[in-house]
Amino acid sequence: MLPNRSRLSVLVFLLPPLLLYGVAVLFPILQSLFLSFFSWNGISDMEFVGFANYVRMLTGDSVFWHSFINALGYLSICLVLQLGGALFVASLLTSLRRGAGIIKTLYLLPAVISTVAIAFLFVRIYSIDPVGLLNQVLGWIGLGGLERPWLSDVNTVLTAVSAPEGWRFTGLYMLIIYAALLAVPQELEEAARLDGANQWQLFTKIRFPYIRPVWITTTIMATTYGLRGFDIPYLMTNGGPGQSSELLTTYMYKTAFTSTDFGYASTISVFIVIECLVAVGLILLMLKRKADA
Amino acid sequence: MKKLMRTAAVAAAVTLALAACGSGGGNPAANVSPTGEIKPRQISWLLSRPADGAVINIMKKVADEYAQTHPGFSLNLITTPDRPSYIQKYETLAAANKLPELFDTDATPFAQQLAKKGTMVDAEKLLKDLGVYDTYRTNALNYQRFDDGSLYMIPFQFELEYFWYNKALFQQAGVSVPKSLDDIPAMCTALRKAGITPLALDGQDQWPLERYVSYQPFRDAGPDFVQKLKKGDAKFSDATGQRTVNWISQLGGASCFQDGFSSQGYSDAQNLFTSGKAAMYNIGTWELPSLATDKLNPAVRSDVDYFTLPATPTSATAANEYVATSGIGMAVNSSTFDPLVKDFLKFALAKYPSEYAATGALSPTTNVQTTIPANATPLYKKAIDQAQDLGTKLAMPWDTQLDPTTNSRLQQELVLLAQGNVKPAEFTSTMDSTIAQNAPKFFK
Repeated sequence: MLPNRSRLSVLVFLLPPLLLYGVAVLFPILQSLFLSFFSWNGISDMEFVGFANYVRMLTGDSVFWHSFINALGYLSICLVLQLGGALFVASLLTSLRRGAGIIKTLYLLPAVISTVAIAFLFVRIYSIDPVGLLNQVLGWIGLGGLERPWLSDVNTVLTAVSAPEGWRFTGLYMLIIYAALLAVPQELEEAARLDGANQWQLFTKIRFPYIRPVWITTTIMATTYGLRGFDIPYLMTNGGPGQSSELLTTYMYKTAFTSTDFGYASTISVFIVIECLVAVGLILLMLKRKADA
Repeated sequence: MKKLMRTAAVAAAVTLALAACGSGGGNPAANVSPTGEIKPRQISWLLSRPADGAVINIMKKVADEYAQTHPGFSLNLITTPDRPSYIQKYETLAAANKLPELFDTDATPFAQQLAKKGTMVDAEKLLKDLGVYDTYRTNALNYQRFDDGSLYMIPFQFELEYFWYNKALFQQAGVSVPKSLDDIPAMCTALRKAGITPLALDGQDQWPLERYVSYQPFRDAGPDFVQKLKKGDAKFSDATGQRTVNWISQLGGASCFQDGFSSQGYSDAQNLFTSGKAAMYNIGTWELPSLATDKLNPAVRSDVDYFTLPATPTSATAANEYVATSGIGMAVNSSTFDPLVKDFLKFALAKYPSEYAATGALSPTTNVQTTIPANATPLYKKAIDQAQDLGTKLAMPWDTQLDPTTNSRLQQELVLLAQGNVKPAEFTSTMDSTIAQNAPKFFK
């Protein structure tokens, strides 16, 4: 129990950031919720439409559902690359005796490059005319038949815009997981080895359970970042061709700032907030169940 | 939880941008004679033009000259050359009622709503009051007009759009200048057979492909078709609409555009043509310095020529009528319009045309003659002189005519149609329902 003076000090220090958080985060969410019940283009009078925007979004807007499915695909690819890749590289790094520092730096490098530079870099990599790196490599290894304009093909564009985002943050998550893996007590691993555990058992029975709290945090971070993905797809394809790489975030942005339909854009943003909360809730639930099992 | 809540950052961007919203108002747009004395201060122009382009350079110079006799005056030029980014900035400021003294806009439905609210000064009355109205090209002013004929934007340029082509590549493929738009798909097939990319297209910016969808209706039914279409009074399922839908589909089927065009940008398309890989390139006279001077690749310099939008004797519009634009216009904010703004505009608009024509560009006025640059090829003068033989009907770019949601959807669906990802029937149905859903909000 804190003495009164200390409690006051805590309040004095906590209140300003709490207020800032309320103004910068909670207030806009509540304002979006409010705006989602209106039809408003920014200069017209605001017209109360009740749940009409929600009905339109859920039942009458094919682009919204297309974007939602794309967003899930984008998230899946990002998670596989970021978490799967990070865990794989981090596990390999723990067995390295030399050069781990250089490899860590190399993997982390994309995380510090500007988004715009990454987007332009990958537009060139995927290009067919002039031939980009990917198509060139395919040609060199005898897979010329697979050469294509990756960003113009409706079947490949979503993967093509997801890969840079996944690649970009793999190093960051690798670093977090690597730090967690280093913290696994050596005596536990040695004991398991003495008991005859192989590498896979060592990983699944000792290492992974030990890093589970860090894994949960990393998964939540990667998922929320993935669901909020915007910049790279927007810069590389602007959601196209058609709606093939349109995500909920890019669609919301266009609805607000191109179509000037601020009410409907707010409805989509409310959906994004709910979607993120549901996703994180599900992750916590699944990982908690596994931990309890 | 804090992390989670941050996921609403994008939502916050929308709402924060709107926080200062208000219905706004402003002085009556018709008042072009504000009273009072001229009090020099800084005025701002929110614009979407190249930072080192002629318009900005000239206006900077003119503003400096004006400041010499009006100490304390300065012109703050805030440019966002990327058009989609500019439109977002301008519309957000309009929503917040925070537009500066001068701002750029096309004659879009959104701008018309601003004009109806009295946000903009009546440009026709202002130009007449300043005594310069009659010096402007009729076509330059008409391009800036809204559907009802009202004029709220002042043009600063005048551009004609041509099909530039490479004579040597045409000869190599055994094709000649098309006599009608319907000839183009067959030309593409012949050019492809000869290993040549028929048309260089900047697909990334979307408006260049949207130009193509406007061509058949302009020749088939004249400029009225888009006026009806945008309100839902005409449809893509009509005969004229079907003609353009099928034509775009045929262009795609004949591989008229370069592979992967949808992810290629402005400079990619230009390079394709200027490097001699593409046979045709549809672009305006603003590219004359790149296409008709000694800056052009010597390997293709003597092979480049142009033709205008093909027309047939049965076309609703004449051969000398095609896309001629006066670019994005400048609107004057009525709520900040005062004797200083008016006096500066009087000074600037009198000086601007001669300075602009001296750069080798076509002035929006007829009282000056374009200076042909010393390094120009003969094609430069030919392209400039073409402006003297221009008809009265303009092919309006559709991106300035349709409501913004329909326009975005059209741009997206056109790519799919040209790539063969959707069939003409599917395209028609999607676009007609999009127009039916969105047009009433803007054209009640």
